[in-house]
Amino acid sequence: MSYVIALAGNPNCGKTTLFNELTGSRQRVGNWPGVTVDKKEGTYKKNKEILIMDLPGTYSLSPYSAEEVIARDYIVMEKPDAVIDIVDATSIERNLYLTLQILETGIPTVIALNMMDEVEARGDKINAEKLSEILGVPVVPVTARKGKGVPELMAEAVETAKAKKAPKKLPIFDEKLDAAAAKIKEALDAAGEADSGWKAIKLLENDEKVAERVSAELKSQAERIVADSYGAGADLEAVIADQRYQYISRVVKDTVKKGRTGHVETRSDKADKILTNRILALPIFAVIMYLLFACTNSENFLFLGINSPGIWLAGVVETAWGWVTGLVEGLVGNASPWVYSLVIDGIMEGIGAVLGFLPLILVLYVLVSFLEDCGYMARVAFVLDRIFRRFGLSGRAFIPLLQGFGCSVPAVMATRTMESEKDRKITTILCGFMPCGAKLPIFALIVSTLFADSNQTAVTYSLYIFSIVVAIIVSLLLNKFVYKDETSNFIMELPQYRIPTVKTIAMHGWEKVKAYAQKAGTVIFVSTILIWFLSNFNIDSFNGNNAAANEDGSIMCEMDDSFMAGLGNVLAPIFKPQGFGEWRPAAAIVTGWIAKENVVVTFAQLYDEDVSPEYLEGYFSQYSPEELEELGFEGGTYDPEAAPDIYSESILFEGGDENALPTLHEDIPTKSAAYAYMVFNLLCMPCFAAVGAMKRELKTWKELGKAVGVQMLTAYVVSLLVNVIGGLFMN
Amino acid sequence: MERLMALAMMEIGETRTIQEFHGKEEVKRHLQDLGFVKGEKVQVVGENPSGMILLVKGVRIALNRGLASQIMVA
Repeated sequence: MSYVIALAGNPNCGKTTLFNELTGSRQRVGNWPGVTVDKKEGTYKKNKEILIMDLPGTYSLSPYSAEEVIARDYIVMEKPDAVIDIVDATSIERNLYLTLQILETGIPTVIALNMMDEVEARGDKINAEKLSEILGVPVVPVTARKGKGVPELMAEAVETAKAKKAPKKLPIFDEKLDAAAAKIKEALDAAGEADSGWKAIKLLENDEKVAERVSAELKSQAERIVADSYGAGADLEAVIADQRYQYISRVVKDTVKKGRTGHVETRSDKADKILTNRILALPIFAVIMYLLFACTNSENFLFLGINSPGIWLAGVVETAWGWVTGLVEGLVGNASPWVYSLVIDGIMEGIGAVLGFLPLILVLYVLVSFLEDCGYMARVAFVLDRIFRRFGLSGRAFIPLLQGFGCSVPAVMATRTMESEKDRKITTILCGFMPCGAKLPIFALIVSTLFADSNQTAVTYSLYIFSIVVAIIVSLLLNKFVYKDETSNFIMELPQYRIPTVKTIAMHGWEKVKAYAQKAGTVIFVSTILIWFLSNFNIDSFNGNNAAANEDGSIMCEMDDSFMAGLGNVLAPIFKPQGFGEWRPAAAIVTGWIAKENVVVTFAQLYDEDVSPEYLEGYFSQYSPEELEELGFEGGTYDPEAAPDIYSESILFEGGDENALPTLHEDIPTKSAAYAYMVFNLLCMPCFAAVGAMKRELKTWKELGKAVGVQMLTAYVVSLLVNVIGGLFMN
Repeated sequence: MERLMALAMMEIGETRTIQEFHGKEEVKRHLQDLGFVKGEKVQVVGENPSGMILLVKGVRIALNRGLASQIMVA
């Protein structure tokens, strides 16, 4: 017999920690862990018959924001066999408020008193047996972070699910309220409504969602019952909340022994005095963001003259991949030219171009998850609220936007935590502007090739700033002209600061590597083959014309005549004003919509040809003899033998690394055009996976069309401005 | 009884009791879920340009200034 056990509780009470503890590596979580905004299921690692459902956190069963609706609907409509209600024992009073509502649903429940170690450290004592006696359900003290008490908890939960025992009714409300509830329940029963007891209370509470689900007849009947005993239009919601809290304070008085009375200043309070300080908060945040970036993608780490951990690791991966490519080259060396081309120029080159950036993304991701796990994120959201409000957003938007630095998909999903629809819509659009991990390779490639003589770190960093500035301006414009609702309030619980365990961080990192490997092995692998095919074949490949024309009988064509060139040539004129109106950059943008990494894959394949002697001669013919001498040609005369070395060391490639593409500057000839190209890729429609997530959040095709339209328009206009204005001083 | 004042006017370290809320119904409900009920003690533990950090039922909650001025305390 299999059972479904749901984990419910307040946000940040440790549900996901417990979920991971229970399910181990078998969890089916999203590719990118983060704030839980969707339900996730897994099987209990010690008994595969038991399905564990992790729900988004909620403060009440009358939901306020979209992700709370998911939790409520699951508990009330799907009816798990049992609920484990996780109570953060350090704030037991507030947490029991949800507990009472869960008990009202009549679903078999077990209470997990989590964070008992912190309660004990404070010198407080909670009498779990007494609490269990009063509430009539099992209560198990646990410390989910350390796995303490978890087996006992599961044993109780399974017992409870098997027994199917509904929690008893508690004497929470006074007689008058109980009588009104009983009358409504009677009416609901007469109409054959299920869960009548729970619905009766919700109707008293004026819960709109429940009121929508019952008939108009029942709704007005309930209103009459309320009017009879409390007078017309009485606001029972506050009365009910009040009576629940009063009941809780009686329970807490009987079960909790405080070590010290009154609020004792904790380490979190002390940390907050600095981190949310009215003057220091923003500078501290700026420094942290800079460090985040410096660790990831800096060739002069903290001005120490060494590579950052991210760059260093990237070097290691590149070396390893080069070695693997060497092996594979040996294997296919004797194969037919098109197989060799597919395997080496297509797959190995393409995947390698993407894989090399995994370390950068990994380092960034681990650092962001550290910030998320330690409790700082909520503070930043709060500190930034005032600034965000000026641009017509709540500080809450910060969390999705920061997640957007990792990946747009979870970022877009995280917009659910915002209660105003306007904030959600705008933030969904802005998430697409963030420099996600997959865009990082585009920047790195272009910067190392076309900005080789500039401060490369500064150029990349400027793109991050750029994305934020654009997001601000677009938000202002959208607030002014498109979505004119009110900005939502900022209400957020500030969790205790906790130092994340190495285990959690390592797990996040590992999940990330796994997800990335999966992506490289599926979407990007297939794209790589597709891009190779489109770039090396055309119609004539299949009617024998190529085979007849080519000396070796190959059916492949010149890249300039390929399908890809056809596609790129259609789009290229559109980008003339941006300075990169050539078929290769234009086609790469399109492949980037499948996955942004594809831009790099496409470049790696399209610009892979060796620099020929003819090309070099043409390149250097633009220089006068004096300039040639300056470049290193003895006596100022062109020397074909010295040319390759001088070419790779020429102004353009000074400091350029092995990633640099030697012929990219043919198509993207100026720095302003190169910057515009990066900006266009940064701001335009995100990959299809992210667009799918946007559709889920925005619901309708019309809204999605509007959002993608805004992104495309922004990308086009801003990149145009970059090329025109940048052209005045960059080139 | 003391006169009502807006929570936003309180100073750091001050403790008062919540009396009423002048704002939208759904926001009121959410505040109640978080422990902001009539008669409940609220202490200001932090303040910055965004708003205030309050201690309610032993939990730190951050509110923006606009919202804090809709909550009346005594």
